Amino acid sequence: MRRFLVMLKKELAELLTLQILLPFVVVIVMFVALGQTISSLGADDAGASPLAVADRDGGPYAQVVVAALGQTGFEPVMVEGDVTEESVRGLLDEADANILIEIPEGFSDSLAAGTPQQLPSWTRVSNFSFIGNNDISSFGGAMAVVNSTVAASIAAEAAPGVPAVVLQQPVSPAEHVIIGENSAETPVMAVMSFVSQQTTFIPVVLFVVIIFASQMIAVAIATEKENKTLETLLSYPVSRASIVTSKMVAAGLVALLSAGAYMIGMQQYMSGIETGLAGDSAGSRAAAATEAAMQQLGLTLSPADYAMLGLTLFAGILVALSISIILGAFAENVKSVQALLTPLMVLMLIPYFLTLFLDLSVLPDAVRIAVMAIPFTYPFITGPNLFLGNYGVVWWGIGYQLVWFAVFVTIAARVFSSDRILTMKLSLGKKRR
Amino acid sequence: MATGTGAPALRVRGLTKNYGDLKAVRGIDFDVAPGEIFALIGPNGAGKTTTLRMVATILRPTSGEIVADGFDAVKEPARMRRIISYLPEEAGAYKNLRAINYLKFVADIFFDDRERAARAVEVGREVSGLGDRLHDKLGSYSKGMTRKLLLARTVMTEPKLAILDEPTSGLDVINALELRERIKKLAAGGMSVLLSSHNMLEIEFLSDRVSMIADGVIHATGTPAELKGRYDAENLEQVFARVVADRKAVTA
Repeated sequence: MRRFLVMLKKELAELLTLQILLPFVVVIVMFVALGQTISSLGADDAGASPLAVADRDGGPYAQVVVAALGQTGFEPVMVEGDVTEESVRGLLDEADANILIEIPEGFSDSLAAGTPQQLPSWTRVSNFSFIGNNDISSFGGAMAVVNSTVAASIAAEAAPGVPAVVLQQPVSPAEHVIIGENSAETPVMAVMSFVSQQTTFIPVVLFVVIIFASQMIAVAIATEKENKTLETLLSYPVSRASIVTSKMVAAGLVALLSAGAYMIGMQQYMSGIETGLAGDSAGSRAAAATEAAMQQLGLTLSPADYAMLGLTLFAGILVALSISIILGAFAENVKSVQALLTPLMVLMLIPYFLTLFLDLSVLPDAVRIAVMAIPFTYPFITGPNLFLGNYGVVWWGIGYQLVWFAVFVTIAARVFSSDRILTMKLSLGKKRR
Repeated sequence: MATGTGAPALRVRGLTKNYGDLKAVRGIDFDVAPGEIFALIGPNGAGKTTTLRMVATILRPTSGEIVADGFDAVKEPARMRRIISYLPEEAGAYKNLRAINYLKFVADIFFDDRERAARAVEVGREVSGLGDRLHDKLGSYSKGMTRKLLLARTVMTEPKLAILDEPTSGLDVINALELRERIKKLAAGGMSVLLSSHNMLEIEFLSDRVSMIADGVIHATGTPAELKGRYDAENLEQVFARVVADRKAVTA
């Protein structure tokens, strides 16, 4: 044990260099900065944006439209003159707006006579991002408000005594969602988007961490070969098992450190985006309501769930490390490590992409069995399974990964105990005799 | 010079090593006495490094016996590693470690006792002769400095048997001279040395006894003086040339 700790200390001293640590710091700083930028953009946009209105009608319903727009987070700016393809840019510039609405002549009279009207609008698009185009995303909602306000106004004249809402929306859905034993009143789409938001970034972090750990250990072995230190190391009075495990534990610890960096970074980034998107208090109220419903549905992870998620991730890292240490033993130098790790990357990419886009149960049986045979599938499906309370699958995944780990670590220890660690190598790019 | 009385520090009998069809070492025997410097000399591919690696317990013999201070290299490699120390020909060091920490790391691997480990580091510090440069990272070391440090690392644990493969390889004349003096002094202190080299002058200066090896077979063994007398030669280079010529005549 003492020798193992001496080895571990040396491995960590070798791994924790500025070149390795700097990217962690950069990742955290970058994500925090991105999140803050986005969140400040959202805050800027939370104020009322100007919206150009060319009122060619001037009637009572035109006034209703303008008043309704004022309630939707836009500030209507009245502009004069004809709206044509040539003049519209000038009018938008005059109002300092990106959207212009034209209320056509005869708008109020026609509505009063019972003819539905069109409300032409012009939107200037200068970029395609979500956050930078708050005006565009708010505009759809604003038009819905305009529609219902005008409808209420028409209803009040046409059918006095009948509440406007009955005419506007006589039936509205009250959606209930059932998950396992739990149920809650909340829109189904809100549940779907909540869970996908919660589970999308777990696989991204998993993927990065597992790849990072694999590279680290394979590079550690290849470096021993390239720097000509392996031969000496093997002649020291330290067990082969200590050499293998100290390298694995050191790489695992540094990988977990990187996972921490990515988790903190991503969390800052995501919360920045959420603040940016929610913007106003109505948005955050809706988010709080959704969160309460998710709690009722059992769609939040308890500390025990997080522990299981951590355990699955740890088992996945162990499998990756045990395979990589063998691949690293084949490498002649650090350069050839990348090529040797390709099969491992493919094994990880398959479950990563599949679980990102679909539920594995929809796959044909043969494909599903093949995918479930890959040990790295389990870390990716643990999040959704924990949400759904499928603990059996999670435990099975942990056990299954540990079996793979046991097999590969045994092979790795054998490789290190035999001549092969010094004699075997794959010269990629050269023809073998 | 040690005379080799009593039990040998190293006994090698019938040692062979095959890599597939290639027979790298074909049944060699030799002993190294306590405090003796014993050299294997031979051309490239003669089987010197393979033999040294087997004695260092990092390659497994195909057959034969290696016993150092009573420990069998095949049956008890872990115990044997405690009393030997190996300097490979192309050895490097951990570039991100400071030299002094490298010495501490090796001392901690060899010794459970802190005081014993600290003493080994002191020996390493003294033998290396690197002074304050020991606090620099190994990545900044020249080849000569690295080799000095590695020799210091090899001997600081005061092994019963030091295995040195081309100990002065790549060193300039002054550094090589210093290193040879150091090895002689350590052997005079009781450490046995098994070394290999291409450099016949170095061997003649350093070794108590020499074995000439070619094609995995030992062709002649003796003190440099004995060998020169036996082959009527002025130096070991001539001995070596005659041994090789004799071998060719036999196999032709």
